[in-house]
Amino acid sequence: MTDAVRVESLYKTYDTGTPVTALDGVSAAFEAGTFTAVMGPSGSGKSTLLQCAAGLDRPSAGRVFLGGAELTATGDTAMTKFRRERAGFVFQDYNLLPALTVEQNVVLPLRLARRRADRGRAREVLGTLGLAERAGELPERLSGGQRQRVAVARALVGRPAVIFADEPTGALDLRSAREVLALLRTTVRDFGRTVIMVTHDPMAAAYADTVLFLADGRLAGQLSAPTAEAVAAHLTELVAA
Amino acid sequence: MIAIALRTLRHRPGGFAATFLSAFLGAALLMAFASLLDTAAGADEASAESLGTTASVAGGWCLVIVVFAVTSTLSLAVRQRGDQFAVLRRAGATGPQLRRMIVGEAVAVAVLAAGVAVPVGLAGGRVLLGLLKDTGQVADGVGYAFGPVALAAGFGVTLIGAVIAGFATSRRTSRMGVKRERPRARRIAAGLFLGAAAGCAVLTATVMDGKGIDAMQTAGQAGIWGSLGLALLAPELLRLTGTSVRLASAVMPVTLFSGIATGTVYMQGIEDDAAAGQIQPDYARDIQTLNYVVVGMITVFVAIMLVNTLIAATVHRRREFAQLRLAGATRGQVTAMVAAEALRVTVTGILAGSAASLFTILPFGSARAGEIWPSASIAPYAVIAAIAVLLTATATLGTTRRSIRGPALPQA
Repeated sequence: MTDAVRVESLYKTYDTGTPVTALDGVSAAFEAGTFTAVMGPSGSGKSTLLQCAAGLDRPSAGRVFLGGAELTATGDTAMTKFRRERAGFVFQDYNLLPALTVEQNVVLPLRLARRRADRGRAREVLGTLGLAERAGELPERLSGGQRQRVAVARALVGRPAVIFADEPTGALDLRSAREVLALLRTTVRDFGRTVIMVTHDPMAAAYADTVLFLADGRLAGQLSAPTAEAVAAHLTELVAA
Repeated sequence: MIAIALRTLRHRPGGFAATFLSAFLGAALLMAFASLLDTAAGADEASAESLGTTASVAGGWCLVIVVFAVTSTLSLAVRQRGDQFAVLRRAGATGPQLRRMIVGEAVAVAVLAAGVAVPVGLAGGRVLLGLLKDTGQVADGVGYAFGPVALAAGFGVTLIGAVIAGFATSRRTSRMGVKRERPRARRIAAGLFLGAAAGCAVLTATVMDGKGIDAMQTAGQAGIWGSLGLALLAPELLRLTGTSVRLASAVMPVTLFSGIATGTVYMQGIEDDAAAGQIQPDYARDIQTLNYVVVGMITVFVAIMLVNTLIAATVHRRREFAQLRLAGATRGQVTAMVAAEALRVTVTGILAGSAASLFTILPFGSARAGEIWPSASIAPYAVIAAIAVLLTATATLGTTRRSIRGPALPQA
């Protein structure tokens, strides 16, 4: 199996008066076609890891490979172009543009990449996610769960190799959360995508194939075929340690 | 890219109201003055010279103020939508793409504003010509013309201002990661403006000494450059008084207003005193009228800019107010807090403006009346300060009251 994403000894220091180390030498590989959850206490560096791995932020040191090519070696614009070809994003706060309709939001990454804004593809994805009838509406008319499904549709529309999700269920009720998680799992199982998801919720992490734990900017264990109970137990240990 | 930008504009036109208004007013003023040059093309030599002087002196003031106002309102509008640009960034927009969007929006607003300004500029130019005829400076037979110079000045300056403002703002926004304020360029510009002010002031007190009313040209400029320079230093001035630097955008218009208004009104006052009993060049009354007209127009212009900046700044803090209310602050307490801030903004702005006006008053007094400190009444100054306080108070408190009306519920 090849690695969809690989990070090598990532360091990230934020310089806000007193320097804060968010990542302290993290190396990890994410196999293609797998669903990985990244967990850890607040301030463990899990969101920073995701942002660096996804090319949204630059590590202070270390290397990031996306689909075998090094992301960290390129400039800002090249990095953006690279990431919009190969990665999709889902965030806690949906990140939809209020001025654009559901469909326009979904095809936004394609339009930014000057790829043909394929309406058929957008409709197809929206249909899969049960949003076909909402295509012409503005996001403000949608519930939180529906908005997050639009965000997932936007992440899927360009057929990216990797989908990065940062607390995708953080703002959702239990039912919507389960729908979104099931969707993410389907994209991995049925469409061969790779999903990397940051979460603090053991129930959400249990949808993944593997859980990676972080504490104080370092790797702190790994669980395969996780259950919510096992994840919660590991987390409790981390916090206590 | 431009299509996305235009859709955003249509969705939230309110965010660009201030930019539109300042571009509109600026274009109208510029067109009015520039149309005098169109008129001069068909006038006798003496009339043409007078028209040319009026247009270039007053038009020059407007130019600087327009570019400043469009830049500051546009960067405010863009900054308020920072989260939207972050979304676009995450959706894969590159820095150059964002820049094209921001500049595209700015140009769209500017073209629209300049277009709407055409009839207003035309009417304004007619009024100006009427004033010049009434004071006998332009021959009665000269017909009004509104042509290529007026249109080029109105559209050209507004567009160029918008493009410059768009680029300057997008440079900050399109950068990756944490946005850091980079005060170097602003401080350098402030230094240059203050240098120009000092230069004009020295010129006034030396070269223009004894040149009578002509000293107004350099003296007036000195005050304008000084006001602009100090307005750009608003964040530093606020830090001196221990007030939140966020309010800097509100201090700028107060500084400009009090600086230019005080400087010009006292300069004309000194001139009036010095001219009493002397034989005056025939354009003295002309200049007097023009001075008051310009002060009036700049006052209206800056006042609108001030009110808009304050409303935008206060609306932007809706969330902060809501959190204060949730934490148990009464509506009265929130209002009192805002009032105290507004007071500090006004006082800082008025003090900076007063300092800037000295660039005009001191050298002009020395050149024209032979006394550095004018023996003038304090009344006009008090009126200007009162107008500044009134404008700030009305804008801030009105908006605050509206945004904290209703129960202390969390806002989405």
